[in-house]
Amino acid sequence: MKKALILLSVFFLLTKLSQAQDFAYGTATAEEMDMTKYSKDTAAHAVVLQEFGESKINVGNDDNIKLIYTYHVKIKIFDKKGFDLGTVEIPVYNNSDADSYENAYGIKGITSYKDDNGLTRQIELEDKKIYPVKENKHWANYKFALSGLRDGCIIEYQYTIESPYFENFHSWQFQSDIPKISSEYDVHIPGFWNYNASIRGFLKLDKNTSEIERQCFSSGGAHCDCSFITYGMHNIPAFEEEDAMTAPKNFRSAINFELIEYMNPYTGAKVKVTKEWKDVDYQLKIDAYFGRQLKREGLLKDKIAPVIAGKTDDLDKAKAIYKYLQTWFKWNDYHGIYCVDGLAKALDSHSGSVADINFSLIDALKAGGLNADAVILSTRENGSVNSLYPVISDFNYVVAKVDIGTESYFLDATDPLLPFGVLPLKCLNGQGRVMSLDKPSYWVDLNTRQRQKSMYSMDFTLQENGKLKGTILISSIGYDAYLKRKAIKKFNSTDEYVEDLFSHLPKFKLLKSTINNADSLDKPIGEVYEVEISLYDKPGDTKFTFSPFFFNKITENPFKIIDRLYPVDWGMPSDQRNTLTVHLPKGYTVETPPQTLNIGMPNNGGMFLSSYEPLDNSFTFSNVIQFNKGIYSNVEYPYLKELYNKIIQTEKGEMVFSKK
Amino acid sequence: MRLFNLTICLLLLSVAANAQQNYDVNLIPKELTPYANTIVRNSVETVEVKDLNDVEYHVTEAITILNKNGDDRARLIAEYDKMKELKYIKGYIYNSFGQQISKFSKSDCEDYSAAHDFSLFEDARMKVYTPSITQYPYTIVYDYAYRSKQTLGFENWEPVEHHGVAIEKSSFTFICKPDFSIKYKATKVSAEPLITTDAHGLKNYTWQISNQKAAKYEPYSPYYSDYLPSVEIAPQKFNYYGIDGSYNSWAELGKWEYDNLIASRQALTPETMQHIKEITKDITDPKLKAKKVYEYMQSKTHYISVQVGIGGNQPFLAADVDKQNYGDCKALVNYTQALLKAVDINSYYCVVQADDDYTIGLQKDFPGMEQGNHIILCVPFKNDTTWADCTSQTIPFGYLGAFTDDRNVLACTPEGGKLLHTPKYTFNDNIKTRKASFVIENNGAISGTMTTVFKGIDYEYRDELINESKVEQDKMLQKIYPINNLLIDKLDIAQDKSFTPSTTENIKLHARDYASFADGKYYFLLNTINRITETPKEVRNRVNDVYIARGSTEEDEITYTIPAGYHLQKEPLNASVEKPFGNFKATMELKGNQLIFKRKLQLIGGTYSKDTYQDLVDFYQAIVDADDYNVALVKN
Repeated sequence: MKKALILLSVFFLLTKLSQAQDFAYGTATAEEMDMTKYSKDTAAHAVVLQEFGESKINVGNDDNIKLIYTYHVKIKIFDKKGFDLGTVEIPVYNNSDADSYENAYGIKGITSYKDDNGLTRQIELEDKKIYPVKENKHWANYKFALSGLRDGCIIEYQYTIESPYFENFHSWQFQSDIPKISSEYDVHIPGFWNYNASIRGFLKLDKNTSEIERQCFSSGGAHCDCSFITYGMHNIPAFEEEDAMTAPKNFRSAINFELIEYMNPYTGAKVKVTKEWKDVDYQLKIDAYFGRQLKREGLLKDKIAPVIAGKTDDLDKAKAIYKYLQTWFKWNDYHGIYCVDGLAKALDSHSGSVADINFSLIDALKAGGLNADAVILSTRENGSVNSLYPVISDFNYVVAKVDIGTESYFLDATDPLLPFGVLPLKCLNGQGRVMSLDKPSYWVDLNTRQRQKSMYSMDFTLQENGKLKGTILISSIGYDAYLKRKAIKKFNSTDEYVEDLFSHLPKFKLLKSTINNADSLDKPIGEVYEVEISLYDKPGDTKFTFSPFFFNKITENPFKIIDRLYPVDWGMPSDQRNTLTVHLPKGYTVETPPQTLNIGMPNNGGMFLSSYEPLDNSFTFSNVIQFNKGIYSNVEYPYLKELYNKIIQTEKGEMVFSKK
Repeated sequence: MRLFNLTICLLLLSVAANAQQNYDVNLIPKELTPYANTIVRNSVETVEVKDLNDVEYHVTEAITILNKNGDDRARLIAEYDKMKELKYIKGYIYNSFGQQISKFSKSDCEDYSAAHDFSLFEDARMKVYTPSITQYPYTIVYDYAYRSKQTLGFENWEPVEHHGVAIEKSSFTFICKPDFSIKYKATKVSAEPLITTDAHGLKNYTWQISNQKAAKYEPYSPYYSDYLPSVEIAPQKFNYYGIDGSYNSWAELGKWEYDNLIASRQALTPETMQHIKEITKDITDPKLKAKKVYEYMQSKTHYISVQVGIGGNQPFLAADVDKQNYGDCKALVNYTQALLKAVDINSYYCVVQADDDYTIGLQKDFPGMEQGNHIILCVPFKNDTTWADCTSQTIPFGYLGAFTDDRNVLACTPEGGKLLHTPKYTFNDNIKTRKASFVIENNGAISGTMTTVFKGIDYEYRDELINESKVEQDKMLQKIYPINNLLIDKLDIAQDKSFTPSTTENIKLHARDYASFADGKYYFLLNTINRITETPKEVRNRVNDVYIARGSTEEDEITYTIPAGYHLQKEPLNASVEKPFGNFKATMELKGNQLIFKRKLQLIGGTYSKDTYQDLVDFYQAIVDADDYNVALVKN
């Protein structure tokens, strides 16, 4: 987290509060108490009756100017599955650094319920049952459980958080896992500050008013008017998550704020925070934890020299440097686009955040005479970024981009198993922004080149005793190779990996195994297994049925619901090829060949192709399953589901071998 | 004798002085490396009881991490709270040649809350040190000490906590004054310790293990404490939060717990007592009366865990639970007891080790406070002892389920502790019975109805569906029943909450493309409803016995009406396996256009010899094969 802006107020202060729109605390109407269901969503375990939030910038309890956020909610709980809502956590940023903490106060809660005699009663949350917990060095939580919960009760609570982090203006989540009848957010922004507001999700605002509050802010002789804006929604449906989607927060209705600029109320000095990318570019360039860390080639020059000694090819140099930093660092699981410890300390301790590690990589590449830049992005879990104007708080990850010849490669040194030029799936989330120190920043597609691809080649001979004997060759390419290496590294040796793999296949007897390129990250990884498979118990039968999909058979459609609201997001295209050759014993022929099917999705979105080639006493059957896109829209979804349906239908078919 | 002790003492001293060992990884015995990601080079743990409220724990440990999978073991986690004060932490890291590359201390550790996920609040905290070493192997040495202010419970010595950890040498010494009596129980280490008297006249009990190979994961293993080494220590005299006590038996420990932690916690307001009498006044049968009280408690409360200080073992006041409507297991059992007492029903507060996967009982021959992690209620009626878990708002009175069934528990009563055993669910109790009738149309679509009855621990299997929206229920059912294109026309779930509870699920469903049609043949999977698709993994040179926690019986009968005029292309399914631990039978029969599929799987709970394991894999392979049977129908 960056240093907060703290302004000391020295003089008498005067504030004029605008008319609050908040609802009265501690009231539950008879109608609300008698509600047994929410008519618009009769299966809901709870519904938010009213929710009100207010953010303002004003002088806080400690006489500093603070962002003051108040939250107040009243929830009707219908049944016990909604009781979790009565346990509340209020997270606050709480750095050990004493001058930059957030503070929560004014926490109160009340439950209205019907007692054993049917009379409405209220019970208040006791102060001593509000537990402050220091979770770790950055965060604290205020935790409490409301008393008196029963089916049909109404819980209500409110709290205020004071924060010195003007750039983290509280966003407002209109939509959550339970439906809401009314949700309103009031913001009061003094003219000294200027924010951009952006709305996410499919729902529309029912209320959006804005007015000027005269002289609402005053501190130390400085005073100004405020913008008073109200955002409201009614009858908000619960958010339903779907499988294979990216961050739900991309789709949940919410409103976010980004600080554009502010004026120091005492000096009149104007500070631009965000406006256009050129402003961001400049800001990041001079930032002690961003741009300045990208000029520390000196720290790495000596380390890099022996790594690239004797190498003349730029790609070789880049690969060597990348590998060197991948093995130098252990990622400490911290995200963010700013350095946490700074490069010197990170390099020294072999430990760092994403930015510490990848900035070191960028500096090292530059020290090696290569052209490298930082690319900031938002991980899939963190959600999408605003592409209309810069919202720097949307970004939470940074990788390196190195240009060699006409090619650009994206690199992330936090994971020692990633091949050169491959990003982890979590980074494949639309576009990233290339932050070049000497050129204007620009957008770049992150997931254009990456693919996951695997090939299974099987060559078997059917023995007279009913056993299949032969070889399975598995090649994993691109991202699949990375995933395979990760799976292997879960074991202490490749032998242990193979032992485990075959321990799940009791019908397979492993005769010999080889794994190629297990440690050559830039090459496909190849597994070769010589096996004997007990397929039939009854040798001597004159007829066999045989499923050519006995390995890698798909029996269950991953897509179940009929329609989707949100896209399917796999991150990258995929491709799987299976080739099976079977040699039959003398005297056997294929009575029923396998079904073949060639089917594709519209616009070359994906396909399933299969082909059958009979030969003398043997045959080859092959198929390809290809998904050519990383993301499929909800309009393409039915085709995707149907492609799987057709694959499953086809794979039900069986071959018949018979003895002449 | 005296001289002998002195010699030992000098010997020990010289070992300690030589602590600066050589950590070159080449010195690790080769036979310790298979399946190991971590080697404990040397671990020395001592516990010294200085006084009843002053115990010093001291741990020095050198661990070599062979690869990334061992990194978790390299992390130091030292918990502390108000009763357990961390004195110091020191550490050193060595490279593979045994050269020191860095060192650290307490100030380099991160500080976190150590509360469990299920708790709202606990006062436990922890210091964590995570080394950042990317070159393997490396060796990390920890040296830390803490002081505990109670002697009611001592931490167990468990030198092997994980799979993949091999031990070169590890020792544990318990030090106390000669008059401080202890009981001990050693598992998989020498049963009797080396007992010596040191220079200060203190008694030393020492256990040691060396050259222990890494264990690998074996499915169906018994609870880890049955096969991994451990030493448990229990005191005779103790002090806990300023309360003195002593025990030699479960009876005495149970009495102490009752008198000091429970007895004074059960007062209720006259209004509440009056109300509970009022709502039960028309019930004469005591068991039904208790059921009513339990259901009242369920309707009024829910589970919230707050553990502070002595509250880790002492329930909230019953009157507080009555007011705030929540509590943890202790508080809710104590509250229910108070309500029962108001209607003159006696009940027991019972300590149990709750676990879904293993039935771990309190040890009959070894009373100790460190056993047990949960509290349940026991209501003894004349000819019938009834049990209840008070932390659920929905389960029936008398139902324990897999969390606390079939194990020894300690009932804490005013007369003293009693070791009781909770009911066992066998394959005759845990029953899932299903009957379905489906029609397959000419176009391959399927439709029909299905009824499933769940009994015993299976009773809870549909709880998450109850009261959910149709959209949510459909999503869950599509995952439970992997029929492609499945659509649910109607779902009805009924629960019988009597003393033999059961859940009945009725479904009306349809799905397109259930059977595929090609070259004049229909193909479909015979069993899409209740499939097993994977066997337990095979294990080379198995070490552990085979443990099946509890038995079960499942029976399915599906009648398919198929398009007229077809016969089977291949032999009908007829699988049957009989083993000591279970049996399986699956058959099909085509009569006219009615295809009847029957499947029965029965498992018998118990512990079986390790040689049985391959049988278990083969047993499941037979099931997987049968469940994969693909029907092929050919036109007559």
